Amino acid sequence: MALVKLKEFCVPDTPEQVDACVDKYGENALILAGGSFIHGLEARGLLSEVEALIDIRKLGFAGVAATAEGLRIGAMTTFAQLEQAPGLGRAPWLGALKDALTYPPMQIKNAATVGGCLAAACPFFDIPTALLALDCKLSTSKAGSKREMDLADLFSGLFENSLAPGELIAEVKLNKPAGRAASAFIKLEGTANDLAIVNAAAFIAVDGAGQCQSARVTLGGGVGDNAVRSTSAEKVLLGQKLTEELLQRAADAVEQDIQPMADHRASAAYRLAMAKVFTKRALSQALSRLN
Amino acid sequence: MKQLISLEVNGDVHEIAVEADATLLSVLRDNLELIGTKRGCDSGGCGCCTVHVDGKAMYSCMMYAVSAQGRKITTIEGLGTEERIDPMQEAFVKEGAVQCGYCTCGMIMTAKQLLHDNPHPSEDEIRHGIAGNLCRCTGYHKIVEAIKTAAGNGLPHMKGQ
Repeated sequence: MALVKLKEFCVPDTPEQVDACVDKYGENALILAGGSFIHGLEARGLLSEVEALIDIRKLGFAGVAATAEGLRIGAMTTFAQLEQAPGLGRAPWLGALKDALTYPPMQIKNAATVGGCLAAACPFFDIPTALLALDCKLSTSKAGSKREMDLADLFSGLFENSLAPGELIAEVKLNKPAGRAASAFIKLEGTANDLAIVNAAAFIAVDGAGQCQSARVTLGGGVGDNAVRSTSAEKVLLGQKLTEELLQRAADAVEQDIQPMADHRASAAYRLAMAKVFTKRALSQALSRLN
Repeated sequence: MKQLISLEVNGDVHEIAVEADATLLSVLRDNLELIGTKRGCDSGGCGCCTVHVDGKAMYSCMMYAVSAQGRKITTIEGLGTEERIDPMQEAFVKEGAVQCGYCTCGMIMTAKQLLHDNPHPSEDEIRHGIAGNLCRCTGYHKIVEAIKTAAGNGLPHMKGQ
């Protein structure tokens, strides 16, 4: 690989060693988790200033635990480990995450990590869209201090996150919703090993009368700088009986919240049209899991 | 800038000085001359470079050699024995699942993990399982048949776990 300014490749055993390397190289130190997207960053010319790579796989942060509150996922958990974790279970509210994990090929599942996938802030990834549809919080760690943030606050621009230099995502927490809830994710892809043209996830929770108490609709695949939440679609659903006609109106409303881009995978017009189609399918799938 | 690393490949430990940003693929091929592992797209899209790292199929073009230290790496050269090739290789030969052969080594390494995880896959599961490996000759049909044949014959345990 062509990291023309690379001076050091660190594989630290402790957080203090991470800090030492970050202190030395500042913003030109790049944290490496699973490493499955570094080519993507390099191809976009984003690594030309990198002077140090810091491989954090020895620091731990792995494992999946199901608790009364929900699911806790160590940031260095690979997609394969997460997919096979008993804690993922059959709960309908986690449907979006389970759906999203079925798409990547084996080699990516074995390498890519949940935390790395989020920190990359790539608008074409699937897991961020799925997790943004759930009540997802992150705990981060830097030099012994910790903080919590909503997933939405991690994203600060195209391939940009809001982490301080040397601040690592330690854990991803998914809070279990109250009542009847379900979610789903669906992706449009050109081949079985490509980034999304468009992806969409939907979370819905209903009360005893079948009215929508809570909804989250999210999209990715080049419809914004990062995964996007469509509050316009959610407003259509809230307080209503979830009929197919209503789901279609919600899906059509995503247009107000997304800015589809044009690239070699698809035109902006095609992305917009497919964003509506795939949002509708994700909503229908989530609804079917409620019943 | 070079770094001295120690790599365990097919049971042998090698001390090698590598560029810090050298990929595992380039070290396998260019330093260790294990050229069974192929360089295709060199960007995680084609699967030709698939090897096993701690028993898991990985794109060796996407892993830095420095990151591969302390892990058990198995390449196509590490399958089978001097006397007998691996049953997955035998199945590919028997079914004629090879044309130009460029994808074959990666395809076999992927198929090994596929059957390790799921010894009796359906055709859909096989096709989904090899989705990270491209073949531009066979149309996949004979590769899928070979994996079915290997599944029918049973396979020895994966190495490197």
